[in-house]
Amino acid sequence: MPDTRRLTWRDRLYRFDMRYLPYLMIAPFFLLFAVFGLFPLLFNGVVALRNYELDDPTLPYWAGLDNFTRLAGDEDFWNALYNTFGIFLLSSVPQLLLALVLASLLNRRLRAQTWWRVGVLLPYVTPIVASTMVFSVFFSRDFGLANWLLGPFGGGDAPIDWRADKLHSWIAVATMVNWKWIGYNALLYLAAMQSIPRDVYEAAAIDGAGPWKQLWRITVPMIQPVVVFTVVLSTIGGLQLFTEPMLFDLNAQAATGGPNGEWQTIAQLIYKVGWKDLNLGYAAAMSWALFLIILVIAGINTWLTSRLSGGRT
Amino acid sequence: MRRSWSHWARAVAVGAVGLTLVAACSGRSTTGGGDADGGTVTLKINFWGDFGLQDLKTRYEAAHPDVRIQLNSGEYNAQHEDLQKKLVAGSGAADIAAIDEGYAVQFRSQSDKFVNLLDKGAGSFESKYLPWKWKQTLSADGRTQIGLGTDVGGLAMCYRTDLFKAAGLPTDRDQVSALWPTWDRFIEVGQQYTGATGKKFIDSGTNLFNPILGQQQAGFYDEQEQLRMDGGPKVAFDYTVKALQAGISAKLVSFQADWDKGFTSGAFAVLACPAWMLGHIKDTAPGTEGKWDIAAVPGGGGNWGGSFLTIPKQSRHVDEAYELLEWLVQPEQQIEIFKKVGNLPSQPALYADPAIAEFKNPFFTDAPVGQIFPKMAQGLTPQYQGRKNGPTRVNVENVIRRVENGTLKPDAAWAEAVKEAEKASRS
Repeated sequence: MPDTRRLTWRDRLYRFDMRYLPYLMIAPFFLLFAVFGLFPLLFNGVVALRNYELDDPTLPYWAGLDNFTRLAGDEDFWNALYNTFGIFLLSSVPQLLLALVLASLLNRRLRAQTWWRVGVLLPYVTPIVASTMVFSVFFSRDFGLANWLLGPFGGGDAPIDWRADKLHSWIAVATMVNWKWIGYNALLYLAAMQSIPRDVYEAAAIDGAGPWKQLWRITVPMIQPVVVFTVVLSTIGGLQLFTEPMLFDLNAQAATGGPNGEWQTIAQLIYKVGWKDLNLGYAAAMSWALFLIILVIAGINTWLTSRLSGGRT
Repeated sequence: MRRSWSHWARAVAVGAVGLTLVAACSGRSTTGGGDADGGTVTLKINFWGDFGLQDLKTRYEAAHPDVRIQLNSGEYNAQHEDLQKKLVAGSGAADIAAIDEGYAVQFRSQSDKFVNLLDKGAGSFESKYLPWKWKQTLSADGRTQIGLGTDVGGLAMCYRTDLFKAAGLPTDRDQVSALWPTWDRFIEVGQQYTGATGKKFIDSGTNLFNPILGQQQAGFYDEQEQLRMDGGPKVAFDYTVKALQAGISAKLVSFQADWDKGFTSGAFAVLACPAWMLGHIKDTAPGTEGKWDIAAVPGGGGNWGGSFLTIPKQSRHVDEAYELLEWLVQPEQQIEIFKKVGNLPSQPALYADPAIAEFKNPFFTDAPVGQIFPKMAQGLTPQYQGRKNGPTRVNVENVIRRVENGTLKPDAAWAEAVKEAEKASRS
């Protein structure tokens, strides 16, 4: 039989607490996301359909899909896309593999364990601008440490001009990215590895599995959710790469990523189109294209990774 | 139940703090302008490099106890881009923003975002300025003047007397000027220098291209905004490629760390010098005092650079800003800046003033800069800088850098330069 008495103040409060308070508590995130995430995204979409050239206010307001059709035939855009993927592959793949190896080493019994574990995070806390400046000198043509180190192995007499062709500049930029993120990913992997029961390894060792086999057959499948997470994270980061390629250029403000766009990434191109060429509408169209590309690639990546690592979906 | 009370109270408290933080961050800061403290007004001036304003600021503040001046020097391109962003955003620009002639057309086409200085009585300055300088920031319909000129570039050639001596070249400035009446001769002198010392003569191909382009009648664009690569740009580009093939360039990228290092290490012996470059050399390589001198530039007069002061409409102290701006472009202040950092005023009457005409720059072996630069500035033909001048210049400079780093064959360079320039003109 239902209770027909009037609800007391205290009951109402209780009900509010149980039913609505959780929503109130998580609301700030969604409010902030709406203001700083969703609104810019949608507004960007509107701008992408407009003529928005700062130095030519006479153009008609709406451009329709002009900006997007122009994108399809823009060789700068395809070059930047190619560069972005090249640098992305050169950074993400070695980065995650090395992080995995590093994590499994850190997962063993080591002397001064904490010291090592905190140590691998040091590159991550270094301000990105500072480390890039150092790398920029490291890869300099005339006085660079990289060329000095390569000296004994190098076949040619001339020093490598790291900023003169695609492959060398990609390697240089990817090195900066890897240096910063390997330790960070290793710690994520390590955290996941800690939850794998020891006796699984012991059983495997008795069955004759070496460390390498243990890593691939036990560790990776068991930390698969974290692997997927890092792959998605590095995809997003890799496709938005900006600071490193920007500061690697000797004439950084021009945002051309080398005299022939050797290592110009999409994010750099967007910056250049928006703030150097002052065509905000076209830059917005590029941003939207990048957003869609990231969605697709992240999807493919997730699918691939879960497939490769044994599909525990 | 008791627990839930405190729970609730805590949640409200957290929420309130959060909201306050958001509000505090998003709200327009009321103390930013410094208006609150006892009626003083803070005027922010944004510029790049060294405009020679430090001492003037102190003097102006002493004479106007209610005004504080905040000097904000940044990187050249970054300052212009920052101003552009603030204009789009609608707030945050400085009270007085400097712009360079390379960006004049860009900002002039947005003249509705700047205070029309003609409304403030700046019309009286028109007769005092070099006519082309006055026009550079005047809107197309001639009704809005967004800026008052500070300096003009002029052109000369700075050279290192100690390095010239070591190479067996003359060091006296007249004799050096006589060495290179034309750019062809200049490149030959460079080969002679490089042959004798094994060192490079010029800093970079782009710093040969820009001054030569500045000497031509027409730049990248004509006044109908059509790209004209076969005029001025072709001449400048051909000389540049010739110099690169002669092997006299140190291949440095200007305004970057290695370039600055080159001033002290003697990586190059000559450098095209507009008046404003003198301040840069002095600031970058103070240790080379007395080792520099200034000769004439091959091929006659030309201009490279020169700035304006504007007041964005966003300024909340337009009247005070204009008062300061007017004061800064008065002869007395302009002469002081010239003596301090070398920037040549854009008011020709001042060139006859003995304070300028007789001024010798001690850093540059007492070169008579008060004679050299005014002559250049008066003799030059103004060049129209198109709307897409900036991106076009960047693209062509990049082609030059590709020839320099060996990834582009010199014979293929011109076709590539035209292609890149066309791309920039459509951007």
